[in-house]
Amino acid sequence: MLTLEGVTAGYGGGRVLQGIDLEIAAGTVTALLGRNGMGKTTLMKTVMGLLRPDAGRVLFDGRDLAGRKPYEIANSGIGYVPQGREIFPDFTVAENLLMGVLGKPANRRDIPGGIFDSFPILKERLDQKAGTMSGGQQQQLAIARALAGRPRLLLLDEPSEGIQPSIVHEIAAAMRAVAERDGLTVLVVEQNVEMVFDMARDCAFIENGRVAERTDVAALRRDDAPLHRYLSV
Amino acid sequence: MDQFLILALDASNFVLAIILVAMGLVIIFGLMNVINMAHGEFFLLGAYAVVMVDSAGGNFWLGLLLAPVFVGLVGLVLEEAVIRHVYHRFLDTILATWGLSIFIKQAVVLIFGPAAMTVGDPIDVTVEIAGAPYPVYRLFIMGVSLAVIAFTFWLFFRTRFGLTARGVIANRNMASCLGVNTRRLDRMTFAFGAALAGLAGAVMAPIMGIDPQMGMGFLVPAFLAILVGGAGLAGAMAGATVIGGADTVAANLWSPVVAQIVVFSMAIMAIRLFPRGIAGAWRKR
Repeated sequence: MLTLEGVTAGYGGGRVLQGIDLEIAAGTVTALLGRNGMGKTTLMKTVMGLLRPDAGRVLFDGRDLAGRKPYEIANSGIGYVPQGREIFPDFTVAENLLMGVLGKPANRRDIPGGIFDSFPILKERLDQKAGTMSGGQQQQLAIARALAGRPRLLLLDEPSEGIQPSIVHEIAAAMRAVAERDGLTVLVVEQNVEMVFDMARDCAFIENGRVAERTDVAALRRDDAPLHRYLSV
Repeated sequence: MDQFLILALDASNFVLAIILVAMGLVIIFGLMNVINMAHGEFFLLGAYAVVMVDSAGGNFWLGLLLAPVFVGLVGLVLEEAVIRHVYHRFLDTILATWGLSIFIKQAVVLIFGPAAMTVGDPIDVTVEIAGAPYPVYRLFIMGVSLAVIAFTFWLFFRTRFGLTARGVIANRNMASCLGVNTRRLDRMTFAFGAALAGLAGAVMAPIMGIDPQMGMGFLVPAFLAILVGGAGLAGAMAGATVIGGADTVAANLWSPVVAQIVVFSMAIMAIRLFPRGIAGAWRKR
C-alpha cells in the first residue's frame, strides 16, 4: 500500500533519510522503531509531503506522491497524527474534529459516528476547548481528527509521548480495534515498546536513515535482541 | 453639543471605512503572513471602478456593486501572478506589494490622469440631525460598512469556511495535512480582503476627491489601527476606532496637520502601553 524506494531526505544540507526502502502492506499495523534522530519523524513528514525527498520515490497505492502538496496527499487517503499532536488549542473538540473533514469532498464532510465508539471521552467534551484537555485526551482527539477524514493509511508519530501509561494502553487498544474493524493500515512511530506490543503486528527498525531490520511482534516476544540492538533498552 | 453629534457621525464614517480596509489587511496578514502594501490601491481601484461605471453611462449603484467584484478579481490575479511566489519570504512580500502599489498608481495616472475626479452624491438628500442638515448618503455609508463588518465576522466565526480559514491561520501545515486546500483558501481570502478594500473605496468615492494618491490616506491609518489595536478582526476594529476617531476630531478642532501629530503620538503611546494591541491587552486581563 505504501512503498518507499531509496528515499533520501533531510533538512537543509543534512540528510536524515539515506536511501530508505520500506513496504507497508494493506491492512497491517506496522511499528517503526529506532533511537532518536534516526529519521522516523523525517520519514513521516516526507510521506505527508511536508518534506521533499532529494532522491527516491514514495508510492501510495502504486501512485507516485512526488511533488504533491500535503492536502493532496491527505485527500488521497492518508491520515496524519504528528508528534506533539498539533491539535488546534483554541478550537473546541467538535471544531477540531470538523477540521479533519472540511477539506474532504462534499459527500464526506460529516464526522463518522464510529469515532465516538473508539474514543467516548470526546463525545462528552465536544464543546470543551481542546487546549484545556489533558495530554492523553488531546492525543485521542488528534487521532480521532485524523480518522474523521476516513483515511486508508494512518501515520501515527509517537502517540505515547508524554502520556500516562494507563491511557497509553487505552489508546493502543482503541487503535487496534479501529484497525481491525475498518481494515485500516497503520504506520506507527513509537519508542514505547509496550505500546508497540499492544497494537502492532509488524516491526521495522530504523538506524542511520535506513531500515536495518524487519520482524514482527510475535518474533520479538520470543527474542527481544533487536530491541536491545536498535533501541538500547 | 449638536456640533459634537455631527463630528461623531463624521468620525464614524471615517472609522468604518478604515475598519473595512484594516480587516482586509488583517485577514491577508493572518492567513498568508503577507503585509500588503498595495492594499491602499485596492481602495483606490474601488473608487475608480465607480468612476469607470459612471463614465460608461451606468449609475453609481451599479458601480458600487461591481467595484468589490472587480477589485476582488484584480486581487485574485495579483495573488496568482505575484504574491504566491513570495510567500515564505516575509520581507519580499513587503517589497513586492509595494511595487504593485506603485504599478497600480501609475497605471491609474496613465489611464485617468493625475487630477482629482468626483462622482456626484448618489442620494442628494439631507436629513435634519440636531437642527442641522446632514447628508443621508453619509448615513448610508455607515449602514453598508456595518453590514459588511457584520458579514465578515459571521463569515469567519460562524461558518465552516471561517473555521477552515482560522485553522489555517492557527497551523497552516497541520490544516494542509488534514486535507485543507490551502492554495485555494489563500486565493479566496486574498480576493476577499481586496474586495473589502474595493468596497470601502467605492462607497467612500462620492464624499471625497478621487485621485491616484488617495489609497495612502487609508492605508496608513489602517496600518496604525492594526498596530494600536492588534492583528485580529476585533483588534482592527478597536484600533480603527481610536485612530480614525482621533484623526477626525483633531482635524476638526484644529487642523489636519495637528491631527497627524495627534494620531502618530497616540500610536506611539499605545504601542508603549499595549505592545500586543488593545485587543491583546484586553484578552490578557
